[in-house]
Amino acid sequence: MTPGAAYDPQAALACATALQRPEGVLGWSSAQWSLQLRLARRTRLLGRLAHALHAQGLVDRLPALPRRHLLSELRASHWRTTALRWGLDRVGRVLADAAYPRVLLKGAAYQGQGLPIAGGRLPSDIDILVPRAALGDALGRLGAAGWTEPDLDEHDRRYYHEWSHEVPPLRHPSVRMELDLHHNIQPPLSRHPVDAGLLLARLQPSLWPGWQVLHPLDQILHCASHLFHDGDLHDRLRDLVDLDGMLRCFVVPQADWPALLDRARQLGLAESLALGLLLCARWLATPVPPPVLDQACAAGLPAWRRACLLPLLRAVLLPGDPDEGDAWTRRVAGQLLLARYQWQRLPLRLLLPHLWRKLGQRSADGPA
Amino acid sequence: MTAPPPSLAEVELRDVRRALASSGLLLDVGAARLHVRGDSQALARQLGAVYRCFPWQPGGGEAADVHVVLHQARGLRRWWRPQVVLRIDGAYPFEPFPADSPLPLLEWGCNWLIGRRLNDLLLLHAGAVERDGAALLLPAMPGSGKSTLTAALSLRGWRLLSDEFGAVDPTTGLVQPLLKPVALKNASIEVIRGLSREAVIGPAFPKTRKGTVAHLAPDARAVAARGIGARPVAVVLPRWERGSPTRWEPVSPSQAFSALAFNAFNYNLLGEVGFRTALRLARRCTAWRLVYSDLDDALAQLDRVWPGLVAGAVHGPQA
Repeated sequence: MTPGAAYDPQAALACATALQRPEGVLGWSSAQWSLQLRLARRTRLLGRLAHALHAQGLVDRLPALPRRHLLSELRASHWRTTALRWGLDRVGRVLADAAYPRVLLKGAAYQGQGLPIAGGRLPSDIDILVPRAALGDALGRLGAAGWTEPDLDEHDRRYYHEWSHEVPPLRHPSVRMELDLHHNIQPPLSRHPVDAGLLLARLQPSLWPGWQVLHPLDQILHCASHLFHDGDLHDRLRDLVDLDGMLRCFVVPQADWPALLDRARQLGLAESLALGLLLCARWLATPVPPPVLDQACAAGLPAWRRACLLPLLRAVLLPGDPDEGDAWTRRVAGQLLLARYQWQRLPLRLLLPHLWRKLGQRSADGPA
Repeated sequence: MTAPPPSLAEVELRDVRRALASSGLLLDVGAARLHVRGDSQALARQLGAVYRCFPWQPGGGEAADVHVVLHQARGLRRWWRPQVVLRIDGAYPFEPFPADSPLPLLEWGCNWLIGRRLNDLLLLHAGAVERDGAALLLPAMPGSGKSTLTAALSLRGWRLLSDEFGAVDPTTGLVQPLLKPVALKNASIEVIRGLSREAVIGPAFPKTRKGTVAHLAPDARAVAARGIGARPVAVVLPRWERGSPTRWEPVSPSQAFSALAFNAFNYNLLGEVGFRTALRLARRCTAWRLVYSDLDDALAQLDRVWPGLVAGAVHGPQA
């Protein structure tokens, strides 16, 4: 970027492109590197980039500034992925003789399958899933092994245990990461509830004994629904890059698009899939055939809703100019997407009292 | 040959303020480059006072490891108990500070970023000074007076490398300077002021989380040599004890290893590299615990023993 040139939010996509074609970075100027390092840190893609360049032996051919920061992030990633593996090993021992399936989710699942998108990640917690009927047993075993729930008031406990798809994050004194124990991939009372039985019926083995993963198509749908049903979508480009990586890995080789569309319909996640496919095709050049995009939109994303959502997502998912604060348009877009998240997560009769309570807590805590 | 750039102290305050408000200033602190911008009224003056010997390098964002912006808080906070906030690549990870205290926020924020981002180096939590080409490390223990002793040494002929980061390059084993103003707390401020008339200490900030804080400006010699690392030869664990005579207690390599590694910012993160680097340090350095109450006496004893130590002739003050 030349000084004074307007910032283009699409600039952050250069890093995602470099994951596909690493040698392209050899042509980056020092100004481009400076910008890309800052953007990649924000989108949590710096470790992924470092891993991709390191694997191609390109890091030593780069200028000193990127070389140092890529090496630094590579070490951070190695440390965190090792911590995740170790933490899972501990949890695995606790649940070793349980009679129900134990399922890796998200980063743990990618790592546990050795997927390309696992390289250079910076996992911050451990996500696993067990059947809802087994939650009590799993919690009992984990509790006996020293995992503790945070101190929550009655309302927050109820929020987690009755209205959420996971229990409160568990901590262990000798494990660096929090453990998120799920029984579903969507909140049970949300507007797009998912029948966990359908997920459990198609589990696959992982590389790690005792641990299974969701069916590849379900992993794709979980990634999309997790992204588009979250309250904070700022700079979440990495989730789209994950989606792109899994589509290229699981669907593109066999052109298995009809099965993916079917599964999305079956799980009630057609809207998330349509949004994911649209943005991946547009930003990351994921090879999604145009008729598939049309079918995905026809199944879950009417034109009016697409027209509302895409500009908001574009404003929030891609980072703004790192030299400036957020534009008001981006802040408003973030608020609107947060409102959508709340609206989808709980029915109104529960949502209104919940928000009222949170508002009261916030004013009691004083301004942040 | 072009003339070297002027130092910040030689530039008009107005120009510093203008640069901060537009393309920013580059502060090359040795092993890191900081790019600072901001519209905070007090920033130019405070920064100019404690980075006075650093070269004037306006712009330069492309070369920086860390980019920070300090600006006035907006909205109500512009008028009512005004505040200054720190923006890092578009985000605000920290609570605001009072508007008249941008420097402590800058220092705290930059140290936090350095501690997280420079994992190419083993970052010990230690003061570091150099003399006769060799480095002395002063690992931090809570209340140890690491900053006081580091500052005092820097005013008695030792070259300041850092008061916060013992930055060891795992490939060369050298301690690289991360030369920033020394943060002095409470009573230390007057102790250091009394030690040398050459001490340049910036404004005092009362009521921070650590009490009153003021910063000792690194001198011209330390700034000129901030690109030059030094071979570590000794580790001193300081402990100030009221009324105690100066006392040197030998510390075993394994104790030195614990003091270095387990206080470090990124020892765990570096994994095997961190272990090997800390091990090499603990094996090659002589280590003592220094208990003292009379700073002058402690400094004099350290001065006496240092040449022999650098030459490898002695292994401690009592040897």
